[in-house]
Formats: sequence, C-alpha cells, structure tokens
Amino acid sequence: MPIKTLLVGVALLITLIAGILTFMLVEQAPRATEPQTAMLFADQSELPEFELLDHDGNEVGKEVFKGHWNLVFFGFTHCPDICPMTLTVLADAKRQLRERDLALPRIVLVSVDPERDTPDKLGQYIDYFGEGNLGLTGDLGQIRKLTTALGIFFEKTPSDGDNYSVDHSAVVMIIGPDGRQHGIFSSPHVAGNFVHDLPIIMASQ
Amino acid sequence: MKHIFLVSILAAFAACSGESQPPLVASDVIVMETMPGMNMTAAYMTLTNNSEDDIRITRVTSPAFASVELHETVVEDDVSRMRKLPELIVPAGGSATLERGGMHLMLMRQTGDNEAVSLQIWSGDTMLLSIETSYTKR
Repeated sequence: MPIKTLLVGVALLITLIAGILTFMLVEQAPRATEPQTAMLFADQSELPEFELLDHDGNEVGKEVFKGHWNLVFFGFTHCPDICPMTLTVLADAKRQLRERDLALPRIVLVSVDPERDTPDKLGQYIDYFGEGNLGLTGDLGQIRKLTTALGIFFEKTPSDGDNYSVDHSAVVMIIGPDGRQHGIFSSPHVAGNFVHDLPIIMASQ
Repeated sequence: MKHIFLVSILAAFAACSGESQPPLVASDVIVMETMPGMNMTAAYMTLTNNSEDDIRITRVTSPAFASVELHETVVEDDVSRMRKLPELIVPAGGSATLERGGMHLMLMRQTGDNEAVSLQIWSGDTMLLSIETSYTKR
C-alpha cells in the first residue's frame, strides 16, 4: 500500500509540474490572435471630407477608402530610398498573403508632393508595385486636410537650385472598409509584421 | 591632400607589384532600375578602405545620369528626412556602408536606358574607382 500511495503521489506531482510548465509556455508564447506590431486605435475616427484626384484623374473623396482594407503610405515619387523601400515591403506582404489564400489589403500612396506628382506619374509609379494599388494626389490644401486629421507630418525642404525633397511621416496607416482609421504600423517596416497582423485585423470586421 | 597622395602611391604600388588589393574597393553594389516615368533612382554599396589613411569621397559621377548626389535618409520618431551629404569619409582600414534607409547615392536625370550603368568615385580631381554594373530590379 505505501508503494502504491507513493506512486500515486509521484504521478500527481509529475502531472502538476507538467501543468505548470504548459501554463508558463502558453503564457510566454505570443498570442496568434493579437496583432504584434500594429497599434490599433480604440477610437476609430472617421476621416474628414476632402477632394483629391486618384491616379486615373478621377475626383474622389473619403468614400474612396470604403470597401477595402487600405494600407496608406504618405510619400512621393521623387523619393529614391524610403518610399520604394516601403512600397516594396507592402507589395511583398501582399504577395505572401496571396500565397496563403488570405484576404488582401489595398496599397495606397498619398502624395506629399503634388507639385511633381501628377495623377499619371503617380499611376505609373504605384503600378510598378503591383495591381490594384491606389494613388491619391491633388491640391496641397486638400492633402493637408487628410494628413492633419491622420496626424501625418510632411514638409518641403529645399535642396540645390530648384531641387527639393519632402520630409514625411514614415508610418503606414490602416483605414478599414468602413472608411475609419483602425490603426498604424510604425517604421521600420517588415513584410512579416504585415503578414502576421493583417489577417487578424482584417478578420475583426 | 595627404590621403589623395597616399591613394595614388598605393595604386601605383599595387600596379607595379601585381598585388590585387587596391586602396578602395566597392562590394555589394546595387543600382536600382529607374521606375516607369521616373528618371531618378538610388544606388547602394559597401566601400572598403584598404589603405592606412582615411579616404575622403567628394563626388560621384555617372555617364548615365546628369547628377549624382550623396544622400542620407534619417528616420526619427517615424519621420523620414533625406539630406545631402557634402562628402563621405571611409576610415583607414575600415568601410562605409551605403544601404536602404541610410546613406545612398541619389542618381538624378537619367540620360540612358535601364541597361548597364557605371559609377566613378572621386576625391577632388582624382578618380579613385570606376564601377561597371547592371541595374537591379526592385
């Protein structure tokens, strides 16, 4: 009897230790049901009214974002480094989501340099990063309406002669199919972060 | 001027002795192809200084572009800023890395097509290095 009792005791102890270890591992592992990189907004604000041009030259307002999960980046075509780098990351993320048969977001580039970014030029630029992308440009004041509401910074900075650059926020905003701001991805951008977080965010509606 | 003189001496020494270690070496050279409708792009590389003195790069030229500038992208507090750098110093026995999201060459006003491209790296009036390469697709 004492041996049997001892065996039962040992078995109980092993079960208890295994249970504690399992609990600790589960607690430590990242939860696949929560975004790891994106910061989601508790207050999903509506966008302000604006009048811009899409890359085909059509006049569009805030309704243009509706019906899609939009990954919105603010940049310009004369930006040789960070803008193509970011758009390449977004295109890569989209490719990976497509390979997994998951729902796809739409990549949107809002120009912070409307002086040089005509709809046609913006269209050629975004088409380079895949199909179904959207480019927005137009009147500087109208662009400011959108960027101010979204907390996006941009500022023209002079260079040599007539040349200039534009300093700009490097974040990627998430605008949902309801046309509201859902969250933000901060830089530096990595395709894997979007591949992990987007299906979770996009399944939330 | 000291470093330029040294580079010349080393280059001459290397040529005479048949040694294959020039003072300035470029590796991992990437010149991104220009995108449709655009006539500018960026180039990246690692520059290694095999000499015992700093090498000061004051300009870069390319027959395929009317203008080449040394730029640096700095992202601070989620804001990207691009600035022109007056020169690039490759430290003695060290290297300088031009990479995405950091220092890069900004190639402006392309005159040719997206075929082969060459870059010449200068210190004052002395050409330190000429690189022949092809464009990289994004």
